[in-house]
Amino acid sequence: MHEFSICQSLVDAALEEFRRIEPTPERITRVRVVAGRLHQLVPEFLQSAYEVLTKDTPAEGSEMELRLVPVTGRCTACGWEGEIEPPVFQCAGCGAFAIELCGGKELYLDQMEIEER
Amino acid sequence: MSSREIRVYRDLMGANEKWAAATRAWLRERGILMLNLIGSPGSGKTALLERMVGALRRESSFAVLEGDVETTCDAERLHALGVPVSQLLSGGACHLEAKLVHHALRDLAVDRLDLVFVENVGNLVCPAEFDIGEDAKVAVLSVAEGEEKPLKYPLLFREAAAVVLTKIDLVPHLDFDLEACRHHLRQVSGMRPVFEVSARTGAGVEDFTRWVLDRRPSRGAAAGAEHEPGPRRDSR
Repeated sequence: MHEFSICQSLVDAALEEFRRIEPTPERITRVRVVAGRLHQLVPEFLQSAYEVLTKDTPAEGSEMELRLVPVTGRCTACGWEGEIEPPVFQCAGCGAFAIELCGGKELYLDQMEIEER
Repeated sequence: MSSREIRVYRDLMGANEKWAAATRAWLRERGILMLNLIGSPGSGKTALLERMVGALRRESSFAVLEGDVETTCDAERLHALGVPVSQLLSGGACHLEAKLVHHALRDLAVDRLDLVFVENVGNLVCPAEFDIGEDAKVAVLSVAEGEEKPLKYPLLFREAAAVVLTKIDLVPHLDFDLEACRHHLRQVSGMRPVFEVSARTGAGVEDFTRWVLDRRPSRGAAAGAEHEPGPRRDSR
């Protein structure tokens, strides 16, 4: 249930950004989260956490879009670069288990949509 | 009313990362190694530490931060062996976060501390997501859990700098496929070391203990170089 903890950071971040905008907008209507597939996020859990944590805030009722990005890596043996299919971290070029991760651990609030007053 | 889109690009682990970075700096300044032990409830994390106490004590001044949802049972087991231990109760949370660990660490009153084990809350999923400022995560998996676990929980086995496969003495009594487990670990963890141990018989524990002790930063290099003028002390 790390989704709750991560979602709390998401809501905190969105509301902080919201308060920074001048003049203060009416509300947040959508947020987009980008998450690497290595994070074992259950979208449904994240969604219900979002609904609970945005209640009585300017983000209440807003849409949460979760954009999952693939796991990518580089082979330290042959230099191959490309997409990895977890749970097996194997080079598609030479077959070595010598993958250095490049992407797949991202987790950030990418953008949000606000409604102006 | 009109709406507009705003680019934000804000890391969601930022708050936790800040505490983790503070911990890392604090540890580095003092030449302390901190390991984050992660495994299922009952995988034998505490038993492993109990078995290591004697050998660790000969070469190191160490402490344990014991993370649990409830009770102080595990901390008491280590306390009974004279290990400086501090209990962190997550109060229902499934993992430890960096801030809690940071404060607990700074409250430890141990002289010449050079090694800290954090025994995370028993769980293969959530603790793997949170950096607590450790030098390395160590995955603890018991043979009783099944050989496919590395594939089921890839993040942990990917993040861990080493894997300890515990209760190895039970293999003859189980349908556990050791070869398959070793293969799955290689598929997920690559070339990271795997220590096959039994806390009960002591088999393999020495190798893991050696690996831990050898990871400690040399004190002279870590603390001396940055803060103390004059010749650098050699330590071993």
